[in-house]
Amino acid sequence: MRGFTLALVVLGIVSGTALIAAKLYSSRGDSSGGDVAAPDSSTLPAPPTAAFTIPRPRALSTPVGTTRWAPVLRTTSVRAAPRRQARALERLGPVTPEGTSNIVPVLARRADDAGQLWMRVRVPALPVNREGWVPRVTLGGYTVVSTRLVVDLDRFEATLYSSDKPVFEAPIGVGTANAPTPRGEFYVRNQLSSYSSPFYGPIAFGTSARSATLTDWPAGGFVGIHGTNRPDLLPGRVSHGCIRMRNADILRLAELMPIGTPLTIK
Amino acid sequence: MRAHGSDGYLDGLTLAEVDCDGALREAFERVGGDSRADFLRKATVGGAVLLGAFALTDDADAAPNPGDAAILNYALTLEYLQAAFYTEAEREKVLRGNARKAASVVGPVERAHVSAFRKVLGSAAVKRPTFNFRGATENEKLFLKTAVAFEDLAVAAYKAQAPRLKAPSVLAVAVSIHSVEARHAGWMRRLSGVLPAAQAFDDAIDKPEALRIVDSTGFVAAAAKTKTKKKPRFTG
Repeated sequence: MRGFTLALVVLGIVSGTALIAAKLYSSRGDSSGGDVAAPDSSTLPAPPTAAFTIPRPRALSTPVGTTRWAPVLRTTSVRAAPRRQARALERLGPVTPEGTSNIVPVLARRADDAGQLWMRVRVPALPVNREGWVPRVTLGGYTVVSTRLVVDLDRFEATLYSSDKPVFEAPIGVGTANAPTPRGEFYVRNQLSSYSSPFYGPIAFGTSARSATLTDWPAGGFVGIHGTNRPDLLPGRVSHGCIRMRNADILRLAELMPIGTPLTIK
Repeated sequence: MRAHGSDGYLDGLTLAEVDCDGALREAFERVGGDSRADFLRKATVGGAVLLGAFALTDDADAAPNPGDAAILNYALTLEYLQAAFYTEAEREKVLRGNARKAASVVGPVERAHVSAFRKVLGSAAVKRPTFNFRGATENEKLFLKTAVAFEDLAVAAYKAQAPRLKAPSVLAVAVSIHSVEARHAGWMRRLSGVLPAAQAFDDAIDKPEALRIVDSTGFVAAAAKTKTKKKPRFTG
């Protein structure tokens, strides 16, 4: 009796092992035959083709002659040094007389003892070339430009440079002896168009330059760069300080010169 | 919703106040909306775009799906944010050592992402917002802290949107970018002294939470108004 029982146990073990082996074999060898098919690399679909490709990363280009500007976000004092206790030179507000954002070229950066950032900016005020320090928090984001405009008062000529290469040149009219165009370092701060005034031509650029003699002029006596209805007077000393161009020239300049472009009047 | 920057200077701005041209909000709104207006907008914007996108491939399984274009635009907006951040950091030249090296490697990659999305979306690409990083590119500690936040956000945002992409060929691109953003996140975390991978799995960040995070930075700014139709009053 014990021998018969042992035989049954052995038979059961052998049968069970055979069934498991058969199951495993059928799963590996024939995926259609089993309930659960183990994945096989040969049965995986090919990965989908990418809808588009990412281009090769390129290092930042650093064109020569770049400068940056930022809008003034809130009224602040321009100080003689990068600290709160320094002498106040000017008040700088967020809006120009034309209603545009008051932008300033950012020339340098320094942190004070408390770690607050201060930026040295060019100021649209007299005397010419005035610079001072404002807290970084009073300025907006930076915009980079790689152009600069040079106005030669003696040659009656304006030249626009892009990455230090001349890309535009035009004859101009400048201020008379009684209302001279100021010499110095300035910048272009806004663009006016679609107004109705043949005197100013189709487009006028506002600059940070101010007339030293017409300080009581409406809106502060700022110098503009604009077209004209008297191209026959150009080139020459014909204006109240503004820089006049033929209308075709100012339109072409508008296509090439971004706001914030530094302006040298020499 | 108010921003609460831990460094004080981030306080006081909201996305609604600064995102005047609505570029960022527009991109967010294109993702996952259920209204009819949203649906119509997706249909208008997305269909033509993805037809163009899929014309670049031989993927026969790919079916143009308007929602995918909205997701690509959402991704583009986040890529704009990252690309502008690293580019400004490179230009400001304040970073030194490993942080500088990282910015000079990650910046070009983020710009490449922007370039690819803009190309595939064409005229439907959301316009580039204006940014004011408020000194975060001009201080190494702030730079790294911000970089970690941006990279973590990008990883989590891609993760949230990837399952919603309908076309496998678009998903293939998204996943390939997602892993790169994850590498960036690990790198920036390492430089910041933050453990790069402490969790067994990451959570996704959906649109509202991503919006809140971007909102809290105050980095999306209104563009400066530099043009007007007013009559000049210059000296003449």
